Amino acid sequence: MSCLSGQERGTNKVPVEHLDYSFIEKCTDVRYLEKILRILRSGEEGIFPHLIEYCEKHIRKLDPKSRALRKEKPPATAASFTKEEWSQITDELKTWEEEIKVNEVKIKQTPLLCNEENVPPVRGSHCSIQVKSYSIGANKTKKNAAPPRDYRDWDKFDVEKECAKIDGDITENEPAVIINHGLPKIRRKMDTAALTEQEKIQLADREKDKGNEAFRSNDYQEAVAYYTRSLSVLPTVAAYNNRAQAEIKLQHWHSALADCQKVLEMEPGNLKALLRRATVNKNLGDLQIACDDVKTVLCSEPQNMIAKRLLEELNTLMRKNTHGVASKGKKISIQEVEEECEELEQELPSHKQAKGFSQRVGGDSSRSTAPKERGDMGNTHKKSHGRNEGVGGGGSPHAEPQHAWRGKGGKNANKYKVQPNGEAPDSDRDKDKLSNGNCRGQPNDSKKTEQAEEKVNLDAPAGALPPPLARLKNEGNQLFKNGQFADALEKYSQAITGFTEAGIDSPEDLSILYSNRAACYLKDGNSTDCITDCTRALELQPFSLKPLLRRAMAYESLERYQKAYVDYKTVLQIDMSVQAAHDSINRITRLLIEQNGPEWREKLPEIPVVPLSAQRHRVEAPPTAEEAQARAERAAQEAAKRAEAQFTVLKMEGNDFVKKGQYQEALGKYSKCLTLKPDECAIYTNRALCYVKLERFSEAKQDCDSALRLEPSNKKAFYRRALANKGLKNYVACSSDLKEVLQLDPTVQEAERELEEVTMLLKNSQDSPDKPRRNVPITEVEEGDEEETQAPSRGPEEVKENSPGSQNHCSDGPDANAQPTNAYDFGQALNAACSRGDVAACTELLRSTSPEKLPLYICSHLDGHTLSFIIKVLDTHLMETDPKLVYQHLSHLHTADRFSVVLMLLDDNERLQMTQLFEHLSAVECEDFSNTDIQNLASKYIRASV
Amino acid sequence: MSTPLEKPQIIAHIQKSLNYTIFDSKWIPCSAKFVCMGNFARGTGVIQIYEIQRGEVQLLKEIEKAKPIKCGTFGATSLQQRHLATGDFDGNLHVWNLEAAEVPVYSVKAHKEIVNSIDGVGGLGIGEGAPEIVTGSRDGTVKVWDTRQKDTPVANMEPVEGEAKRDCWTVAFGNAFNEQDRCVCAGYDNGDIKLFDLRNMSVRWEKNIKNGVCCVEFDRKDINMNKLVATSLEGKFHVFDLRTLHPTKGFASVSEKAHKSTVWQVRHLPQNREIFMTAGGAGNLHLWKYEYPAQRCKKDAEGVDMGVAGTVNLLQNVTLSSQPIASLDWSPDKQGLCVCTAFDQSVRVLIVTKLNRV
Repeated sequence: MSCLSGQERGTNKVPVEHLDYSFIEKCTDVRYLEKILRILRSGEEGIFPHLIEYCEKHIRKLDPKSRALRKEKPPATAASFTKEEWSQITDELKTWEEEIKVNEVKIKQTPLLCNEENVPPVRGSHCSIQVKSYSIGANKTKKNAAPPRDYRDWDKFDVEKECAKIDGDITENEPAVIINHGLPKIRRKMDTAALTEQEKIQLADREKDKGNEAFRSNDYQEAVAYYTRSLSVLPTVAAYNNRAQAEIKLQHWHSALADCQKVLEMEPGNLKALLRRATVNKNLGDLQIACDDVKTVLCSEPQNMIAKRLLEELNTLMRKNTHGVASKGKKISIQEVEEECEELEQELPSHKQAKGFSQRVGGDSSRSTAPKERGDMGNTHKKSHGRNEGVGGGGSPHAEPQHAWRGKGGKNANKYKVQPNGEAPDSDRDKDKLSNGNCRGQPNDSKKTEQAEEKVNLDAPAGALPPPLARLKNEGNQLFKNGQFADALEKYSQAITGFTEAGIDSPEDLSILYSNRAACYLKDGNSTDCITDCTRALELQPFSLKPLLRRAMAYESLERYQKAYVDYKTVLQIDMSVQAAHDSINRITRLLIEQNGPEWREKLPEIPVVPLSAQRHRVEAPPTAEEAQARAERAAQEAAKRAEAQFTVLKMEGNDFVKKGQYQEALGKYSKCLTLKPDECAIYTNRALCYVKLERFSEAKQDCDSALRLEPSNKKAFYRRALANKGLKNYVACSSDLKEVLQLDPTVQEAERELEEVTMLLKNSQDSPDKPRRNVPITEVEEGDEEETQAPSRGPEEVKENSPGSQNHCSDGPDANAQPTNAYDFGQALNAACSRGDVAACTELLRSTSPEKLPLYICSHLDGHTLSFIIKVLDTHLMETDPKLVYQHLSHLHTADRFSVVLMLLDDNERLQMTQLFEHLSAVECEDFSNTDIQNLASKYIRASV
Repeated sequence: MSTPLEKPQIIAHIQKSLNYTIFDSKWIPCSAKFVCMGNFARGTGVIQIYEIQRGEVQLLKEIEKAKPIKCGTFGATSLQQRHLATGDFDGNLHVWNLEAAEVPVYSVKAHKEIVNSIDGVGGLGIGEGAPEIVTGSRDGTVKVWDTRQKDTPVANMEPVEGEAKRDCWTVAFGNAFNEQDRCVCAGYDNGDIKLFDLRNMSVRWEKNIKNGVCCVEFDRKDINMNKLVATSLEGKFHVFDLRTLHPTKGFASVSEKAHKSTVWQVRHLPQNREIFMTAGGAGNLHLWKYEYPAQRCKKDAEGVDMGVAGTVNLLQNVTLSSQPIASLDWSPDKQGLCVCTAFDQSVRVLIVTKLNRV
């Protein structure tokens, strides 16, 4: 612009000398350049194609969106694309044409599904809106000053009326702003009753698209609503995955987690879901789990940038959790004070993250969603309390000191993670432990109650310290806890001076004081002093854990990695369970290798050998039994709390599966539930139900037993155990269980019915005590399995058809070839054998059944498949060993009811088999029957069937 | 072309010259077919059904009607029935079963003069609530029809008695995200845009864009209304963000001078509401993408919420004809497939590539 004088810009004319490379190059006024371009293009001053091009290029550089650059373009043709692209485009269209034609035919063929009653009624009676044309001037005339009043008018002037008029004007002129978010009004579930499958797919897809669009415009709640709608039509991986992402944006971690789990169930190894789950877990504080997920992703896709970044974040978070504050310097104290405020406001919604959220979403975050959000955030918060880990979210990676003080214990591996951030300075109890030679230094548990009351007795005696010093120390602890590290530092320093002046000989106490002061230094980012204090503390009290850990962190923050490494190693020698040390060592090792190459180990200073007496894991002497128990309880509580969310999700899913009849899947869910919460009676009974349905009776029984152990009067458990016992044919136990149920609740009709049935069965089995049941060894069943390949394969439907009483016959089938005593037993055994294609069992069965009774027994079970199965068995298994029996069976079989009907239903293969059977039979020489007998018999089978 | 083909490209896949003036074209949902509606030189109306078959369009059916047909829609029919609703030069609204089109399924003398524009909602799974048809006419009225009610409209937006009647050029449904809420937007020849709330039967918002409004369309009919594009006679179009209505400033908008001549049509991509195509009077097509601002809502000086408009980016433009492109329709089934008709009496099937990468 500098090159343009005002005069030139003012005129419309562009001087000819401006149509020049050097001028265009210098000019930065896009408008003017556009003008130049226009002249150049018009050809008024001659045609300079290169100059035009140059000018265009220059404009593009300055303003890529300039309108002057828009040229009329012909539509693209095949020539605009590479061969592959073009063929891809045309092929895609062709396949689409074919697909859509098929779909169209399908839609035409499906009967018209009318959904009349679901269509909303016709809009109310003929209504109309009067439309005025909107004139721009309309508002202006209103603004025109009113003509001055006539003097006479003032006599009639009514002040109040005029005032009201003015007020009215104001309200009229300023209607409230309308923020248009129909979110609560969107139905979450769609009515799909009258839709064909095709339409459902389309609909689900469209709703998902709507969700995607809402997501892209940052309307995450709307996006969730639309994804939910899509899922209500047709659950798809993509919709779950996207909903998870939207939930993440809304920081609804638990819903997001549930969605990720769903995806991973439907499609294990879905990378997006894994990444999203990792993000959720990161924010829920489960850094390790998150890490695992990210690593899985990186395994299959090592170049995944998101995963890499996430892993980095996770690593920094973990590092921060373990020691992070040291390097951050003095900012921390302020930050922590802020966090403390949050902590106090915990009941209010103004949690930092919640605030952030509502601002981000801006006007869209409606009031109705606020409480929900609050609840969620509350959860996250609680979680991080419980877990003793950094507060979720990137915003506040440091756990507040209070967390550790109130610390709910946590798992062994976790407890040290917190220490460095929210570490409680060692206190008196430490001393006791130390003197026991136990450097565990984890006073949180025992101190919890004391601290929770928030009433700290500052004069509490502290070891061998005289009261004034003890007071100083306690004050220091208190200040430290409040995050006032500088003040705490002062108190500790006073205590130390007082200590030396007093000349007390108590190295433990002095060591603790130094160690505590070191903690303050560490917090203040003063690593050098921290190291000095730690060293002093260690001189006084060698191999105490906390000073070592602190010194290691200080070294690390000073980038003296070798020393840090040695200290961490020493820490691990004392207590293997310090997770922070493990993590840091991993990290430092990497750094050291980078620095010193493969020989880094040789350059390390010597790692001191920790005497056995100081090794925590060797001297596994928990202070008292009660404390250990208390800790264990807390740990259990902790685990339970964490598992709670997951547990409920799993349980719900399990119940859903049961409702759908997918027992196998439900089984998996319940089993997972039980790993989380092994003492939930309802889950045991539910799982038992699944087992019963799947006919795995012995497992069902076990589950019922477990349930009854937990709840000795659970009637469901009794009832299901009865069913299981029935399945196991243990009728006595079954009836006693049923009686138990009826005693607990006499109104259970199912139990009564079962009881009747079982009593019958019981009587039957008792009636024939002389026929002992033979337990078939398992090997025999396996044999049967092998032979299954020979047996004609049976579809699942056939099996069902063959076993109407399927809930009663047991799948293990040890009793399948016991001697049948009545039609029922025979039918059961036959069905079992038939459905499994167990030829051996059937052979046994036929062997043990007397031919005379066969028609009687078989009549109710006779169908084509059974018949052909029996024929096959007779032919292949009984023929060689006992042709007489085959003959007898055959001569009686055709007298069974419905035999002729069944015979007609046989297919060609089966008929062929029958002919073969008779051929084989006639080939056998036997004195019990002649060839004519066989022919007579064969005619009954074959002629009737032809 | 020297530039790498990362941008979407518009391919003129098929072109076919016809022997009548085509006013409107619409894809038949769930098919590779489309209908063209227009006016024979002898003054009768015509509906033709074409199917694309391996790079060709095949005429499947031709239906001649007494009056020239101006506009049509499938918006209020079910996917199974796929009845076409049309408006003609005589002010009639007809609903045709294209399989048996001798007699209309529904017929009403809707307006005194030509039906300029028609739109449907509630069918095809798009939009909750009852299927309804809206028509806008030169007689100045905008009427909403329910085919279950004979002869009379279920809603009527008519000019105040005595005031000059403005020619309504375009109508569109929107905001049909639940059974109760529904809006109709109408554009008039004097530049008025009016947003009627059918739930409250009131004018929700109005605006004058100074030049005749040729086409209005919501970015999606079946969501809580989000954006509205209105095109105008002198080559501009306006995108309104409908989420925040400021008491005095109304909806925030961004406008763009797209064409050197009238913008006849705007159509949003059914698969992505942020992308839309405008069709111009000089036979050109412009493909746009709307980008949201960082914050869609901010406080004005008095602390009242007001919307913030985003920006529009041109993705691609092509010139197809020397005559205005009067109608444009995206295939609801195949992303990137669209049909357009121009006053050069030809129909074109276009493919727009790389839309999912935008």
